[in-house]
Amino acid sequence: MVLSRRNLVKLAALTGLGAGLTACGRGFGGGGDGSEGGGVQLNMVWWGDASRAQKTQAALDIFQKKNPGVTVKTEYQDSGPYKDKLATRFAAGDPPDLMMMRMDSLREYADRGALLDLNRHTGAVGVSGLSESVKSLAAVGDKNYGIASGLNTIGFVVNRTLTEKYGVKIPDGNTWGWKDLATFAREISEASGKKVYGTGFEPATLANIIVYTRQRGEDFYTSDGRLGISEATIVAWFEMVEAMRKEGGFPPAGFFENIGGGAEQSYLAKGTLASQIIPTNNFLSYNAAAGGNLALLRMPGETTEKRRGQSIDTPALWSIAAQSKHQAEALKLLDFLINDPDASKATGTTRGVPANAEVAAEVKPSLPHDDQVATDYLIALQKEDLPRAYTYPPGSSAIASSLESIATEVEFGRQTPQQAARAFLDAGRKALGG
Amino acid sequence: MSRPIDTPVLDRPAANGAPAGGPRRRRPARPPQDRAGYLFLLPWFIGMLFTVIPFFASLYLAFTDYNLLNPPTWIGLDNFAEMLRDPLLHQSLKVTFIYTFVSVPLSLAAALGVAMLLNRGVRGLPVYRAVFYLPSLLGGSVAIVLLWRYIFGLDGIVNAFLGWFGIDGPGWTTDPDYALTTLIVLHIWTFGSPMVIFLAGLRQIPGMYYEAAAIDGASRWRQFRSITLPLLSPIIFFNLIQSLISSFQTFTQGFVMSGGTGGPAGSTLFYNLYLYQQGFSQFHMGYASAMAWMLLVIIAAFTAINFLAAKYWVFYDN
Repeated sequence: MVLSRRNLVKLAALTGLGAGLTACGRGFGGGGDGSEGGGVQLNMVWWGDASRAQKTQAALDIFQKKNPGVTVKTEYQDSGPYKDKLATRFAAGDPPDLMMMRMDSLREYADRGALLDLNRHTGAVGVSGLSESVKSLAAVGDKNYGIASGLNTIGFVVNRTLTEKYGVKIPDGNTWGWKDLATFAREISEASGKKVYGTGFEPATLANIIVYTRQRGEDFYTSDGRLGISEATIVAWFEMVEAMRKEGGFPPAGFFENIGGGAEQSYLAKGTLASQIIPTNNFLSYNAAAGGNLALLRMPGETTEKRRGQSIDTPALWSIAAQSKHQAEALKLLDFLINDPDASKATGTTRGVPANAEVAAEVKPSLPHDDQVATDYLIALQKEDLPRAYTYPPGSSAIASSLESIATEVEFGRQTPQQAARAFLDAGRKALGG
Repeated sequence: MSRPIDTPVLDRPAANGAPAGGPRRRRPARPPQDRAGYLFLLPWFIGMLFTVIPFFASLYLAFTDYNLLNPPTWIGLDNFAEMLRDPLLHQSLKVTFIYTFVSVPLSLAAALGVAMLLNRGVRGLPVYRAVFYLPSLLGGSVAIVLLWRYIFGLDGIVNAFLGWFGIDGPGWTTDPDYALTTLIVLHIWTFGSPMVIFLAGLRQIPGMYYEAAAIDGASRWRQFRSITLPLLSPIIFFNLIQSLISSFQTFTQGFVMSGGTGGPAGSTLFYNLYLYQQGFSQFHMGYASAMAWMLLVIIAAFTAINFLAAKYWVFYDN
């Protein structure tokens, strides 16, 4: 190898050039508006895993049988890459016809006119089976940009095997408060000699802090798309968690690792946590992973604070692209997924409890026992009078990451809850543009 | 001995009808060998289009407000002005600079050290070379970063080891004070590719220099200072530039370690990770493009400084 000065310069220049020329070359399936035999081909995209794919395909097979001439080409992948891919497809002017939409991305698309206003097509997609709170999930002003692909909420699960082992009584899940949680958690940790922590959850997870915020009479996001949470509430939230941590009921700083993964990798399954917050549609898999003896409780504070905090949520919405060339067929498919019991029988609760209450009631008996528990939980909650929640404004992904960052600062004692609250509100206002 | 590059070997006087003895002229038609060459290059040229077009598109987008869904609107230098005010961008620069300036010298030193050990006539050299090279192939991969997360977890192997000595180790990947250090260690571990280049360079140094120095009574350190380093300096220079450039562009490690957030508390928010967040999570593609060009400028500046400084320490034998 002879390195002359000239060759070296060339080499370095080439690599330097390469540095600037990093192109993002991930493969990406084009949209499917090719027609087969005079029929229409819809392109539907969603995120999820192989088992969800199987169930989804089963539903689509029924749809295709009922609607000759319409074929559905689906693509699916993990939620992370899905987000990038969806954005790229819209940017390329080749959006899918029907897509699964994250709640916190909805307005990034809707506010820029990329999604179809479903309120102008109520004849095509029936919404009479949806409760008011479900209808309002994707409502922006008098427009509606999506329908819940299924319903869920968050709930508290407690491992009865552990509470029995350590002789700790589980508080009444319908009336317990945050103080009861702290006491319960401390008792478990003490009884187990800190082998098991009484409770643990991510204080930075939006769904968790949102419940607490609502209970205190504030909206996390207000109807006009601003941050409604007060400094005092943020401080109280973090102080509560840090107090539990100090007493030993809550795991020490650095305990939660960002390992992702599902129920099998959870601390509940490992037996190092006696209770945690989960999305209710995952109850079955958590119960299976944790030994089958979980109790599903409501969130603490629902009756002890100012007002109800829980809300009916959705893991994802179905939205239709404004640019879709086959809107009529896409609406038909959406209507099928929401209102046809056959569709929900095929998909089960892979995306949550069916949004249409009648469909949910009809499907329930065919579900496995644990899914029925989660379904009952949600049906009961829907009958109650819950304050309305508003859509996530554009910029909310920056707010989520800012919350995560300040929660870590507090967790490691690098900032006081007061400093963190102020920093979060500053960053949040900036992210929402004002 | 040198052959002028621009005189093709094939360029012999044309046989048919060219005035013999006249001034040599280039034939209008390219020789068939040239055509074959370009034909073979064609896939590369086509591939280049997919690089060059986005390259210039991003230059344009850097001066626009572009949210991926609506057409870009020209805003001049606003994106660059915003960079001056953006605290997260400054955080990402800080992370990237610390990472680069700590890990590059250390990994080059490790590479040179191991290369010199291997150069002392170890038996089974190819095996060792492969073993030490292996981490470079794997280090940037998702699986290895995940594995490291387990090794360095709160209940991981490292803390179990420290526990034997009564040390209560921190969460190496979850504690904002240590997460970047863990990534730096991971980077140093992947010293294989500069090591292989160093090894080849060490082989080029004639043994007689060392013999002569040894006869003159030079110590090993002296030999290293006065023979190895100067003669190896072009290779060190090359490795330095290469490592700097790739280190400035770090993405995967931070992305996987933090699950894409750059956490804990922004401590692994690499520049490219923040760029990705801006572009794809927050739909600020114009800003992300401006950031990409800023990175190019930063890398070019550091490369230029290195070339200027090279005059004073890089020694060319020829």
